[in-house]
Amino acid sequence: MKILIVDDDLHIQRLYKEEFEDEGYEVVVASNGQEAIEMFEKESPDIVTLDILLPDIDGIRVLRQMKEKNPKIPVIMSTAYDYRDDFAVWASEAYIVKSSDLDELKIMIKKLLTKQ
Amino acid sequence: MDLANRQKFTEVIFENIRDGVLIIDRNYRILAVNNSVGKWTEKPVAELMDKDCMEVFHNNSLICPHCAAEVTFKTGEVNVVTQKISREGATHYAELSVYPVKQNAEEVAECVVFIQDITDRMLCHNEVLRLYNEVAQTKEYLEGIIENSADAIVTSDLNGIITSWNKGAERIYGFTKEDALGKYLPFVPEFLLDPEWEYNQRIRNGEVLRRIETFRKKHDGTIISVSLTLSPIKNAAGEVIGISGISRDISEKKNVEKELVRRNQELSRLFFISSAMRGTLELDRLLRMVLTAVTMGEGLGFNRAILFLVDEDRNLLKGAMGVGPASHDEAFHIWDSLSLERKTLPDIMHEIEVGPSKKDSFFDKLSQGIEIPLSEDTILAKAVKEKKLFTVDDVGSEPLSDILLIQQLGTQAYAVVPLISRDKVLGVLWVDNYFNRRPVTEEDMRFLSAFSNHVAAAIENARLFEQVKLTEQELENIFESISDMVYFVTEDYVVKNINKAVSLRLGKPPEEIIGKKCYEVFHGTKEPWTECPHQKTVQKRVAFVEEVEDPYMGGTFITSSSPIFDISGEFIGTVNVVSDITELKNLREKVIKTDRMAALGEVAARVAHEIRNPLVSLGGFARRLEKKLEGNMKEYADIIAKEVGRLEGILNEILSFVKDTRIIKETVDANKLVDEVVALIESEIDDKQILIIKELGNPVDIFVDPNRIKDAFFNILKNALQAVDNNGTVSVKTYAKNSTCVFEFKDSGAGIAEADLPFIFDPFFTTKKAGTGLGLTITHRIIEEHGGSIEVESKLGAGSTFRVLIPVSDQ
Repeated sequence: MKILIVDDDLHIQRLYKEEFEDEGYEVVVASNGQEAIEMFEKESPDIVTLDILLPDIDGIRVLRQMKEKNPKIPVIMSTAYDYRDDFAVWASEAYIVKSSDLDELKIMIKKLLTKQ
Repeated sequence: MDLANRQKFTEVIFENIRDGVLIIDRNYRILAVNNSVGKWTEKPVAELMDKDCMEVFHNNSLICPHCAAEVTFKTGEVNVVTQKISREGATHYAELSVYPVKQNAEEVAECVVFIQDITDRMLCHNEVLRLYNEVAQTKEYLEGIIENSADAIVTSDLNGIITSWNKGAERIYGFTKEDALGKYLPFVPEFLLDPEWEYNQRIRNGEVLRRIETFRKKHDGTIISVSLTLSPIKNAAGEVIGISGISRDISEKKNVEKELVRRNQELSRLFFISSAMRGTLELDRLLRMVLTAVTMGEGLGFNRAILFLVDEDRNLLKGAMGVGPASHDEAFHIWDSLSLERKTLPDIMHEIEVGPSKKDSFFDKLSQGIEIPLSEDTILAKAVKEKKLFTVDDVGSEPLSDILLIQQLGTQAYAVVPLISRDKVLGVLWVDNYFNRRPVTEEDMRFLSAFSNHVAAAIENARLFEQVKLTEQELENIFESISDMVYFVTEDYVVKNINKAVSLRLGKPPEEIIGKKCYEVFHGTKEPWTECPHQKTVQKRVAFVEEVEDPYMGGTFITSSSPIFDISGEFIGTVNVVSDITELKNLREKVIKTDRMAALGEVAARVAHEIRNPLVSLGGFARRLEKKLEGNMKEYADIIAKEVGRLEGILNEILSFVKDTRIIKETVDANKLVDEVVALIESEIDDKQILIIKELGNPVDIFVDPNRIKDAFFNILKNALQAVDNNGTVSVKTYAKNSTCVFEFKDSGAGIAEADLPFIFDPFFTTKKAGTGLGLTITHRIIEEHGGSIEVESKLGAGSTFRVLIPVSDQ
């Protein structure tokens, strides 16, 4: 299973990558919106974690483009700020507030992948 | 006849003639006497023979034949004397004629005295004399009168040739006697010669024409009005041979009369028009009345009239309204129909006053398009600037004629009068006689000028009235539409007038409020309310503004009560403006809170955002370390991970306060919520050995977001647990009150200082060493979001009670 991690914070990228690789996933990372969309097409991930606040394109647009390309791929919106009410769940499958405790995220990914 | 017969004949005559006959000699001895002498003497005639005449008559104060004879004896001439005697109270006249009888052609030997009673004749003569004198006197008198009469007394023959001409005539007509005599009616104007001939015919028939009012021409050609009486002059035979005319100059009288009539008419017209105008306060109708009055025959009778009003802002005169026919055809049509309809000025005025307002005539429209700049030098502009009226007799010869009027109205002559009220020119009234070309007379102008004063006053009135009406309407609108309650209360507490807001707030129709006592209506009491500002205003007669807490109305109100005085200064009541600030107070507080939170929220969110990412990697890697390390190192990593976790908790708390979290409501049992929250804190209760008492009332359904409400209650309970010492008590109670569900949380803790109490719901306010100061703020916000409220009772050292009121579900 391949996870695409989209986050501009390099430490978080690394943390997620190591943690999920430990869990047995294949992990690819992107640092901005443009890169994320390219990776989404090129790598064909099974699931995506997408930060909303990105340096180039707004995460919401990135989400929309991903859904246009392949609506079946689950995308978890992950953010430092709780935008839940503003965007609702929108087209994304899940929403999570970033936390140093990655257990919640791990459970969420497992759930979404088994659903498919 | 022979001598004897002649003697005899003479004797008969002598004895029988009616005149007395005496013959006396030089010694005045009576030689012969006839019977008729008897009436002049007291003695019998037979005894008079040979008696002394003097003795018989003279000495007895009778007639005196010898006195009459004395002259004849002396002169030898016939002597006739008249003697007057008084006998038995009557006067007699005797005429004594003495004839001499000469002896020898020289010496008068005897005299024959004839005595004739001329008493009748004499009396008659005296009468004639008296009459004559009288006639002479009268004639003189008449001549005096005629000569000196103020009237012209003129006689002419039947052909109109002047035969006499008195001083009066000279004075009145200016012709001297010499000028006039022998001329043919020099004082009759040519245009009256024909009618004059008719008079002549009537007088020839013996008619007297009295007090004819006609005209005469003076020497200088001036025509004057005269009152004339013409009579025939007849000769002794009664034939008419001439005409006498007495004439009097009545021009002055005529003028006075005319003036009187005119004045009278003018006054009555003015009075009528101005009273009609005064009665009309609608400017539009008023102006139409004015113009109609100006153009109606019965009014001022101009053909066309336009009212220009001054537009001060644009410095020009603008046509406001015009009245007049559009063309000659229309003019004659109108005059025709008007004379047919026989409408009087009052009728028409009334029509304008009450009828539908018409404002569509061609001339009216034309007039309204005209604008005369006041900056230019024209007659209209001058009328405004100089406040004077002007007449333009011929636009061709008046360089300041208003070109615009000539071009647009074709006027050739016009008059204009300024409308001045309180020394300010409101506009001008323009008139002309375009259709009948009647010149504008001085009289017209005089009337127009008098009229203009009334017009100006009326316009001013109408304008003021419109202003007042407008202001009144505005006030009325304001009065009705303001959300504050406004009402008028009399001195004795009777509500006189209210606005809509009062009716709405009290939930009663105006009829149930007006006329009632204000304390009954507003406070539900039978007595005046002691705290009522109205009462203070009534006592002190000054305005009071107060914030009043009114339990009957239920709320906080700012009441301003102002005294109202009538024109005479009498206090008549108060006007009260009451704003319900209950809502405002709440709103204000909310606004303050929202503002504060928004500002705080933004900062907090940004800070949180910047902190979150480092925390995540910090904590995340610490956790990874912890897994890989052993011993002390593992422990350190665990400490880092836990501390990071705590920081993240604080961050979440801040963020959840800042965020508007959507509430997802459902119907839940209030008691169940309490149970669930208490379960959350059970471990802590056990740790501190706190006694928790639950007094849950009948199950009540409330429609809330259970998670949010639990958060809210959790924060209260957490504070309670922190406040109480070990072995303290926390009680939770639920009950229904009215349509709310009350959750009461009471602790036996330290309580809150009175000074702190107002701030406990403010963000970041905390008395605890550890804490964000957001717990109760969040609670408060959640309760508000659910339309509920939260009350706090607390005393330092006596514990606190938090009461949360949530509306009971409608479902």
